[in-house]
Amino acid sequence: MHVRAFTRAIAAVSVALLTACSTAGGDAADGVSVVTTTEILADLVRNVGGERVQVDSIVPPGGDPHSYEPVPADAKKVTRADVTFTNHLLLEEQRLIKAIDANVREGTPNVSLAEVSETYGAHVIPLVENIGLDVLWLGLRVRGDGKDKGATRSSEVRLAATALDGPGELVLYLTEALGKPVVHFNSADDLSDADATTLPPAAHTHLNWAFTQPGIYRLTLAATLLNGGTNAPIPLGESTFTFAVGVDPTGVAGTVLNEGHTDLTVDLDTGELYTLNDAAGGANQGQVVPAADAVIEVPNKAIATIPDDPRFAFLGAPGGSVHQLPQAVLGKHVHGEIDPHLWQDVRNARAYVEVVRDTLRTADPDGAEVYDRNARAYLDRLDELDGHVRETVARVSPEHRHLVTTHDGFGYFAAAYGLTVAGFVVPNPAQEPSVEDVRKLSETVRNLKVPAVFMEPNLAQRASVLSQVARDQAVDVCLLYGDAFDDKVRNYVDMMRHNADEVTRCLV
Amino acid sequence: MPRLTRWFALLAVLAVVQPFAVAHAAEQVVVSAGHVDLGPRFVDGRWTVQLRDDTGDAPTWRDLSEVVLHVNDTARTTVPDDPAYDFLGDGGSPIWVLPQVEQAGVVWPGWNTQDPDVTAAVEREVTWRLHDVRGPGRFVLFLSGNFGAPTTLFTSADATPQETGIEVGTHVHGNWVFSAPGTYLLDLEMTASTKDRAQVADRKVLRVHVGGDTDPRTAFDVAVAEPAPAPEPRAEPEPASDRTWLWVGLGGGALLVVVVVAVALRRRGEQR
Repeated sequence: MHVRAFTRAIAAVSVALLTACSTAGGDAADGVSVVTTTEILADLVRNVGGERVQVDSIVPPGGDPHSYEPVPADAKKVTRADVTFTNHLLLEEQRLIKAIDANVREGTPNVSLAEVSETYGAHVIPLVENIGLDVLWLGLRVRGDGKDKGATRSSEVRLAATALDGPGELVLYLTEALGKPVVHFNSADDLSDADATTLPPAAHTHLNWAFTQPGIYRLTLAATLLNGGTNAPIPLGESTFTFAVGVDPTGVAGTVLNEGHTDLTVDLDTGELYTLNDAAGGANQGQVVPAADAVIEVPNKAIATIPDDPRFAFLGAPGGSVHQLPQAVLGKHVHGEIDPHLWQDVRNARAYVEVVRDTLRTADPDGAEVYDRNARAYLDRLDELDGHVRETVARVSPEHRHLVTTHDGFGYFAAAYGLTVAGFVVPNPAQEPSVEDVRKLSETVRNLKVPAVFMEPNLAQRASVLSQVARDQAVDVCLLYGDAFDDKVRNYVDMMRHNADEVTRCLV
Repeated sequence: MPRLTRWFALLAVLAVVQPFAVAHAAEQVVVSAGHVDLGPRFVDGRWTVQLRDDTGDAPTWRDLSEVVLHVNDTARTTVPDDPAYDFLGDGGSPIWVLPQVEQAGVVWPGWNTQDPDVTAAVEREVTWRLHDVRGPGRFVLFLSGNFGAPTTLFTSADATPQETGIEVGTHVHGNWVFSAPGTYLLDLEMTASTKDRAQVADRKVLRVHVGGDTDPRTAFDVAVAEPAPAPEPRAEPEPASDRTWLWVGLGGGALLVVVVVAVALRRRGEQR
């Protein structure tokens, strides 16, 4: 975070320095020389700079910025540039960023678009490190003091699982601090009095929720207030909660709970059982959704492999898999880092364009009017593009809006246009998938019955795993542009139009 | 600001905030069981790390200087004979564990970023930094994940400062482990970028007293020593004198208020 603030400050200082000697390199007669890391960034700059700028991309056409390593000629390009634009933040290979930082001519702006665009209103998504933790955090809670029912601070509320309807078993267990699992409910040996847990008033707790098969589950919980001593137990309410495990939750209930924090909650004062929800990001805290109106999503990214440890034998055979909402989700994000693929949301590309415009204006004040005019026209096209992508993707019915891709490059596209990222082969294309990754991907495709998976043209050679999974599951392989163009698609607008059209063609 | 002017400013502010500050900084509390959370709040508009105490009838936010968390012997156990837990010490050696999930009879400390002013103001996440640990043994804060695989957030076995992130609007618990009885001083800081691009920061010391053979209130007598020299230029050490004054002034009304205000002003100056 501080590094980013620091970079931003440096960028500002560089811009200021350049203003002081604005004719140093940017002689309008030869045009302003701009170097970008990728072709996508080069296209955005060309649309703002028009004929006044000469733009060069370091990563060659079709190249992968995650793995491209700079050659000596790149250093020369950077040395000659009047302005340099990178995306930064984990998109480009580290050596590429280093080569640029080391060769940028003193006093010329070196702007990281992903970083600076945030101050222009770009929407950024924290980088997910562990997708298995990027799921709903589900707990149990007792709310209210129950004074009218004679509850005191030493009372307890007993929550019992009385019925489970579903294709497999549900085990609710807690892994204690030093690694020992304690089972609270297990449907595998039939539900009985043993399948219960107790909580004091105003308490809340978190547990692991493990499901052995994909499908829809309905769990009935009954609550009883225990005031201790000779007081008879007081029956509270009973409710049935619904889970969509590995399958699309659309249409199962009005509200899909799939992010942030939810507690299945006993309200001591009203006797009701309902879901109490804190949305991610701090907005909408403490929202009540009745059990009958909510479906809890346990997505395929929650697939976990049962460890080879006899203490976890209650989950099934070692090496088998369960869908599991974990008892703790902290650690899903890399502290301070964000997903670098911002341009997959057209509104973020708008912010990039505004940064480009302001940087060029500072570097070449004589061209300010031209840059303003070009940027205005291009921003209008981007607004139109954003509308087109939105309308096109909206034609896919909600239960089919799942993306399975080669790498984790479409989080912004999904978030902006109402899709989910159901799975990918590896987070970063420079990584190799494990056997477990491949199995999870196959299960994801099968469970969700997706009609197609998406390959990126520049990663075609690395897509053998995705093609194999698609063949095994008899689904189509379609094309989405992520980090680069190819010989058919040569600019950003065409790329985003293609992506919207392709998603609709392949998923409808 | 010239020193004299600053003191006049202090006195002027003092007149306004005195009733609140006196009411707030009243008592020293030892918490031995029940739920507490560390977290940032805006107190009179100032970013402040406090402790939410849920052990009474109503939740109370306390200044860290007013609280000792007491880890009693109910929390005593031993390091498992499992290489995955080597980071806690040798297998079989005694440790005191405040677990991630509530255990009757021991403190259940978590941390939250759910204060409405905080969720409204902060962009994405709060940075939580451990600057220093003073104590008779090792301190480790870790999380139990899927199937128990531990993730260490802080350990006094490694060099400080260490940092982790807390997403805005979240409430989290972890396992707090101490390897020997006695008083521990955890020098903690929470910082964030606000949506209007300002930086806020507050650094406080949390007192933890471990073991049942000694009086946890003695932890209040342990002076907060000169903080270790900050390795990063941005992490400005808090002047020790202010902290020492706090102890002298506890329960002492007006003097305490002056010091609280002095710290407040200094804090505001530190905000970047």
